[in-house]
Amino acid sequence: MDSSNGALDIVITNVVSTFTTLCPLNLRTIALKGFNVIHRRGAGRVQMKMRKHNVTASIWSSGKIMCAGATSEDESKRGARRVARSLQKLGFNVRFSAFRIVNVLAVCYMPFAVHLIDFTKNNFPNASYEPELHPAATYRITNFKATVQVFATGSITIIAPNVKNVVKGAEKVYPLLFQCKKSLRK
Amino acid sequence: MSPRVCPSCGSSDVDVDQARGDAVCMGCGTVLEDNIIVSEVQFVESGGGGSSAVGQFVSSESENRIPAFGESHIAGIGRASRAQTLQKARLHINTLGHQLKMNQHCLDTAFNFYRMALSKHLTNGRKCGHVIAACLYLVCRTEGTPHMLLDLSDLLQVNVYVLGKTFLVLARELCINAPAIDPCLYIPRFAQLLEFGEKNHDVAMTAMRLVQRMKRDWMHTGRRPSGLCGAALLVAARMHDFCRTVKEIVSVVKVCESTLRKRLNEFENTPTSELTIEEFMRVDLDQECDPPCYTDGLKKKKIKQLEVELKKKMEDVEDEIHDYEDEIDAELESVRPKLRGVYAAYTKQEDVDVKDDVLSTSSKVSDEGDEEAEEELQAVAKHFGKELGDITLEALLKLEKKRTEEEEEEEEEEEEGGVPRRKGPTLESILGRMPTASTLGLSETISNCIGHEKENDGAADSGELDLSGIDDSEIELYLLDDREIRVKTALWMAENSDYLKEQREKEVKIAKEKELGIYKEKKPRGPSRKRAPIRASTADEAIGKMLEQKKISSKINYDVLKDLNIKPGASPARAVESPKKEPSAAKLTGRNRHPARAPLSLSTPLSTLGKRLQPFITGQPNKKLAVEQVGSSHPLPVPAGDPAIAVLVESGPVVYDEAADEEEEEEEDPCMSAMEMMGSNDYGCDGEYED
Repeated sequence: MDSSNGALDIVITNVVSTFTTLCPLNLRTIALKGFNVIHRRGAGRVQMKMRKHNVTASIWSSGKIMCAGATSEDESKRGARRVARSLQKLGFNVRFSAFRIVNVLAVCYMPFAVHLIDFTKNNFPNASYEPELHPAATYRITNFKATVQVFATGSITIIAPNVKNVVKGAEKVYPLLFQCKKSLRK
Repeated sequence: MSPRVCPSCGSSDVDVDQARGDAVCMGCGTVLEDNIIVSEVQFVESGGGGSSAVGQFVSSESENRIPAFGESHIAGIGRASRAQTLQKARLHINTLGHQLKMNQHCLDTAFNFYRMALSKHLTNGRKCGHVIAACLYLVCRTEGTPHMLLDLSDLLQVNVYVLGKTFLVLARELCINAPAIDPCLYIPRFAQLLEFGEKNHDVAMTAMRLVQRMKRDWMHTGRRPSGLCGAALLVAARMHDFCRTVKEIVSVVKVCESTLRKRLNEFENTPTSELTIEEFMRVDLDQECDPPCYTDGLKKKKIKQLEVELKKKMEDVEDEIHDYEDEIDAELESVRPKLRGVYAAYTKQEDVDVKDDVLSTSSKVSDEGDEEAEEELQAVAKHFGKELGDITLEALLKLEKKRTEEEEEEEEEEEEGGVPRRKGPTLESILGRMPTASTLGLSETISNCIGHEKENDGAADSGELDLSGIDDSEIELYLLDDREIRVKTALWMAENSDYLKEQREKEVKIAKEKELGIYKEKKPRGPSRKRAPIRASTADEAIGKMLEQKKISSKINYDVLKDLNIKPGASPARAVESPKKEPSAAKLTGRNRHPARAPLSLSTPLSTLGKRLQPFITGQPNKKLAVEQVGSSHPLPVPAGDPAIAVLVESGPVVYDEAADEEEEEEEDPCMSAMEMMGSNDYGCDGEYED
């Protein structure tokens, strides 16, 4: 996707979106007639995997559908529409409404390693690092919604509600990381 | 007090005498006030001869609740709820703190944190135990005591990540910068536990040096500090001739063996590991290493590159093999002309089946309920000279993915092996190709999709499904036809048969109960327990047996009760009572389902009942009104619980207080007359389920 700061590549790995068909769905029918569905009774939903766009849709009986696994916003939308279309073919009166992208997860690799403890100290209270719980330091950006997880190797994952925020988040966090970078021997 | 003015003469010289309670004007002598209300503390003589102060204590923190005259008796002691919360919290903090052996100063600080959290409403929606633990841990971090979050979670039996979340929220809201954990902090504590005796200090020092070295080699970022400590202690112990095994260290440090080994390996990769013991103690190498995760990353990159290269080579070889396979196919087909006609018919159906198996994820070939499909596969298999068992789902999947290097090599060898062995790869290649082959016309549709798919931004949000860019024909492939539906239904039913059975049973039960008119919504009923009527020759026996059947209350001293010599008049009443109680008996709620057990004798040891049942036996839920009625010898039935052992009762409520509290507290019915109780069989059920 976009590259910020010269040569850095931000790779979007997951886009999660939801939409709703405005009619209730009979999960059993879907599970029995659909080709590529898993019926998870415990969670009360059906999982359908689309091959083309590599989207996994979780379908609830109320008509709410959550699609995950796409690698771009457009793909997510297309995958969602395909899911709706296949439900339509199964005989439900499906409409495609309230499509909303919930989450975008992206990964970025810095060419340097980061000193997590310094990073946390400099950016308190936005940053928190608890090695007993998670190996990464979590940096939360408040003015626009984004969460950045910084690992000691210099790779970061950015979670935001849309791609723009992802880029913004990466750009915001880069100078902070640069301050605490560890000079490597190799 | 503002100087008062005498109304009669206007003089401001007023003498107020507190002792006599008078206010007198000095000018004219008018008595201005008689019986002045004084604000001194007064004492009253109490019953036993002592004196107590008159008045109520009003807490300074009670914030707006000044008890008015009429309501002073409502709140009891008059303490506000906030004060009660704080008191409770203080109690818990102290308990936990003492278990962790924290000093009083830390506990006070923790209490302050709690108060801050309370004022910021951070306790809303969180278990107070969690918040308290978080406060304690915050203190540990700021003071630098060697307590881990794991310790706290051990004490509370709570998931450490849940505690961690609460802790992080607390730290963020209170703007407290908890300094990062230094592994050196934990070394003395672990060294103590490992019992090094006199050399404790030396080993600890060595371990600390090791940890500092590890820190400089960037081994500590992103890792649990306890893991590093464990590795350091292991090495230090060995250096000082203590043979502490990995297991001992693991039990003290609370990491797993593989973590320890990994840390040791990483340390091995650093140049410091090359030094001898003496050198290490004296010299400190200057160079610092890269963090091990970074070096691992580099290694992985290299491996990937190698893989890519290998793959390329493999692909070249693959092409060759394909040529061979094509030739072999042609030959085989020419050898078996008869098969072609049958083959075609079978292949078509097998295609579908294969697709079915491969793509529908809820099937296992071994469970295939549909006989037709199996028969077909068998026929196909026979023709191809392989057993049905060989054509398992796994094999098929493997065949699909068979473009891995190893299998390619195998095939290559097989190719060179001989003609009969080529049946294997041929079959594989055919089956493997089927789902992707163009026999189903898929390739065209796929190319269509890839080529012509248009992007459609801004689909109408009116709810209409925008169909552009969606290839219908491909989606139709996603739908099963009738036969496939049957197959899948059968498979799904087979897999979920247990669950479906349960559902059916439930429905039947509900229907039955509806007929009987006693069906109540929402509560699943347990099986009703029939108990033998209590036959006792003496009052003592009757009491004992009845006690076994009833739930035990904490408010009754059972030993005394046992010794009670109850009049014979009362005991037949009880004996009559108890048979009536059986039908009511122990209908346990769905939550505590137990198999019906014979009433235990008083001497049955608790342990034989098994672990799970002990809390139910010794800690009894029905604390409120339960057996008080026994004491007062009202013939009140009590929903019976598990058979209890009267002997052990007294220890029960103390130990299993929490377990008992968690269970449903059932409200007792108000006094029922003996007639009612004896008259209706269903009494006990109602009594039990009224909440």
